Amino acid sequence: MSAPPGDHAAALAALASELGADAVREAGPGDLVDGVAPFAVVRPADAEQARRAVAIAARGRIALVASGRGRHLSIGAPPRHLGLLLRMDRVDRVVEHHAADMTVTVEAGCTLAALDERLRRAGQWLPLDPPAPAETTVGGLVAANLAGPLRASQGGVRDLLLGIETVSGEGVVVRGGGRVVKNVAGYDLPRLHVGALGSLGVVLAATFKTVPVPAREGAVEVEVASPREACDLALAMRDAFEPAWLELVAEDGGPATRVVFGCAGLPPEVACGLLLARAEADRPGHHAVEVEDAAARRAELAAFPLREAAAILRVSTLPDRTGLALESLARAARDCGVRAPLSAQVASGIARAAIPDAVAVAPVLRALRARREDPDAAVVVERASAGVKPRLVGDADPWGDPGESLSLVRGVKRALDPGGILSPGRLPGGV
Amino acid sequence: MATGVLARRLRALVGDDGVVDADDVLLVYECDGYTLERAAPELVVLPRTPAETSAVVRLLAEERIAFVPRGAGTGLSGGTLPLAAPVMVCTSRLREIESIDLRNRRLVAQAGVVNSWVTRAVQGDRLLYAPDPSSQTACTIGGNVAENSGGPHTLKYGVTVNHVLGVELVLPSGEVVRLGGAVEDRPGPDLVGFVVGSEGTLGITTRATLRLVRAPEAVRTLLAIFDSVDAASEAVSDVIASGIVPAALEMMDRLVLQAVEQAFSAGFPADAGAVLLVELDGPAAGLEEQAEAVSAVCRRNGSREIRVARDEAERALLWKARKRAFGAVGRLAPNYCTQDGVVPRSRLPEIVRAIAATAERHRLRIGNLLHAGDGNIHPVILFDERDADEVRRVIEAGHEILAACVALGGSLSGEHGIGVEKIGQMPLLFSPDDLLAMTRLKAVFDPEGRANPHKVVPDAKVCVEARTPRRQAAM
Ligand SMILES: Cc1cc2nc3c(=O)[nH]c(=O)nc-3n(C[C@H](O)[C@H](O)[C@H](O)COP(=O)(O)OP(=O)(O)OC[C@H]3O[C@@H](n4cnc5c(N)ncnc54)[C@H](O)[C@@H]3O)c2cc1C
Ligand SMILES: Cc1cc2nc3c(=O)[nH]c(=O)nc-3n(C[C@H](O)[C@H](O)[C@H](O)COP(=O)(O)OP(=O)(O)OC[C@H]3O[C@@H](n4cnc5c(N)ncnc54)[C@H](O)[C@@H]3O)c2cc1C
Repeated sequence: MSAPPGDHAAALAALASELGADAVREAGPGDLVDGVAPFAVVRPADAEQARRAVAIAARGRIALVASGRGRHLSIGAPPRHLGLLLRMDRVDRVVEHHAADMTVTVEAGCTLAALDERLRRAGQWLPLDPPAPAETTVGGLVAANLAGPLRASQGGVRDLLLGIETVSGEGVVVRGGGRVVKNVAGYDLPRLHVGALGSLGVVLAATFKTVPVPAREGAVEVEVASPREACDLALAMRDAFEPAWLELVAEDGGPATRVVFGCAGLPPEVACGLLLARAEADRPGHHAVEVEDAAARRAELAAFPLREAAAILRVSTLPDRTGLALESLARAARDCGVRAPLSAQVASGIARAAIPDAVAVAPVLRALRARREDPDAAVVVERASAGVKPRLVGDADPWGDPGESLSLVRGVKRALDPGGILSPGRLPGGV
Repeated sequence: MATGVLARRLRALVGDDGVVDADDVLLVYECDGYTLERAAPELVVLPRTPAETSAVVRLLAEERIAFVPRGAGTGLSGGTLPLAAPVMVCTSRLREIESIDLRNRRLVAQAGVVNSWVTRAVQGDRLLYAPDPSSQTACTIGGNVAENSGGPHTLKYGVTVNHVLGVELVLPSGEVVRLGGAVEDRPGPDLVGFVVGSEGTLGITTRATLRLVRAPEAVRTLLAIFDSVDAASEAVSDVIASGIVPAALEMMDRLVLQAVEQAFSAGFPADAGAVLLVELDGPAAGLEEQAEAVSAVCRRNGSREIRVARDEAERALLWKARKRAFGAVGRLAPNYCTQDGVVPRSRLPEIVRAIAATAERHRLRIGNLLHAGDGNIHPVILFDERDADEVRRVIEAGHEILAACVALGGSLSGEHGIGVEKIGQMPLLFSPDDLLAMTRLKAVFDPEGRANPHKVVPDAKVCVEARTPRRQAAM
């Protein structure tokens, strides 16, 4: 499945003549994808140009990585080959927002902030809140399966995505799903692209379900002695009232950990939720306080994965084991001589640690994987700063065990990208 | 292999009572809820466990025999109709709920577990399994996963795929793969999402890890009565646009109302043009305001009366009437079939008018049951299968209605699946390139094409008419 380097000069000439000289430039030092240099950067002006660019790459057997604004490009393994970086940020129209149908079709390069601005005019939003919405594009959102605190109540990308338009590795436009909220016609291609890191197709446009912006958002926050206690308390608060989001955070690496409980809806709902959550949290020894600006606090918590760090490690586990996961992360970091800020999304079972020191990343990862305190958990490197990835090999591979679906994933990759030109090697198992 | 030999070898795997090969009993399996076409399999095999299921499929793989999976047979698109598949593998005996994790709100069910058993198992703990197809007391989790089934309450809670975290799949080779699981967000593409809704064409689901949700603290159920379907449809659009997301928003037109009233005496006004059944749920705080807002929207759109269910008994009666409406309408004629198109929700008034025009053109009686909040229509077409000309008109009318849905920006199916019924119309919705991608993806799971052949994706090179000696083709 590995593509040969291909004929660069011929591809450049074809790109310049078909897309116009201003859409293509030689790559510079700022265009690395996870430390791997492309030879050129293509910035198509519209979806049709993007399709042509992929078709040219397919013909020349040139590997390419699609990118929005380059904000989450370090997710996954480094590409095995790279010829072209396909910057989709000019393909950025909001194609149609059908407010009455509560759906929106938007091109891949549109940022979440721009989309949000548009949807809010009709009192709606796309309730996904990954970090850095102003620098995150729709294509990156789908490809990297990004989500934030709201996932606790609104689901992830897979729950809101209705339809998709992609270019396959053969340069052919392939569509799946549609623009209605309920649809079972044909195989579910849209979901296949969620989390695929652009390796099964370049996303041209996507259609999402939108929802009304809640009238009010509120939050309470409480600090307790340890991550595990925080996790137990968070679940007790959840059982008292269904939260909109539910986060744990230990900025200085614990053991003291804060539970932040958010709710959203009509004013009486929010008031009721905050009251019940506080009643649960106000136990001897600690005291819950109301957060002044809940939405701002949520955005701050959402930004955790982008904070200054050598790497962000992520553990996916069951909700009631997120406390345990945070403690394992903290201990592994401490054993390697670093203190790692911690955060968790309890309802979705996601725990994260920001490892501050580049040399500590691989040892922490190895220690966590070797100990296997939680056999169901998956430990991955969510992002890493320049220079760290080359150290992440063998049992410190960014993904870890690809699992028993690997041969199916390989087959799916071959079906949609037979030449292996799209983000080769970035998925688990080197797919 | 001769059928007799195969039956013997299968009996060795699943027990004597696990293989059906007597012609009269096989007739039970000649169709599912889609009765326009029938064909009995040569053999039905009913494994008792996931392990037996993979053993059966391994044997079929060795002998290169094609198979069709089946759950309870309530499907409405002919997904279980054997086409070039001699063996039917029925998972209805895989009936165990294997584990319940209340704290993490997960439940592992075998494929043959009936949908309503899941909620029953966790009800006492104030949890529920949200997808609630009207057939929920009969249909199985395996069938739900295969069809990505919905139900009235999926407007707020989402359909099956939103509640399935993992599946165990027996590939057509007999190999078992576990995709996803109790832990969310495993790295890589979402294969669970791809398998859900694949209509048994990728293999046999033996287990599923389901997500449970909290049972709502409070519920308000309203019945809004309108003089016309148009007015009711406008009200639906306005409710959705108002920013309120009801748990359910269902519509029934006059024909359906009359049938339901005859059958259940639920107190529906038989002279109304349409009713909306609206359910709001969630925390008690704020619910009353939402109910009032919905009532106001309905009144603004000409609702002549709004009734609120006063207690659980009244609510249950309304829902019983709605969930059994298909059956009630069915009593009006010797046969009925239903369509499952979807339109963007603001186009409901248009599609309802188009359906009325189609009914008139083909001299047919068509009632309308709609998951209106989702834009998912269920026109119920009445007919008599002994009248060949009428059958032909029924099929034509169905095609016209679906074509109208697609023309309005919608889809061929919201929850019942493509099966055999709508396969000929897939090109209305998808380009040859889209369909080719689907064909290739199917081959990843099923390279020999032995799992539920001739379903979902039309065979690229065979023209629709020539495919099989089916009734649709014969006309
Ligand atoms: C203050 C700050 C802090 C940062 N901290 C870090 C850090 O700690 N670690 C770090 O590694 N980086 C960090 N970065 C980001 C880093 O500098 C790069 O910007 C980043 O690696 C690129 O991410 P991206 O969002 O542009 O990726 P995107 O372009 O959004 O892509 C995300 C994924 O989606 C795919 N994709 C995107 N668009 C499409 C499409 N249309 N079709 C198909 N697939 C698509 C891509 O191939 C990629 O796999 C930081 C940046 C800033 C400004
Ligand atoms: C009165 C009535 C009301 C209905 N209401 C609704 C509704 O509200 N919403 C809705 O979505 N549907 C509804 N349906 C349709 C039907 O009940 C659903 O499609 C249901 O999910 C089918 O389940 P089943 O177990 O009966 O599957 P079957 O009919 O036996 O099979 C359906 C499809 O699933 C495949 N299949 C079955 N089991 C497996 C398995 N273990 N592994 C792989 N493939 C398998 C079959 O091959 C077939 O393609 C209704 C049907 C009736 C008769």
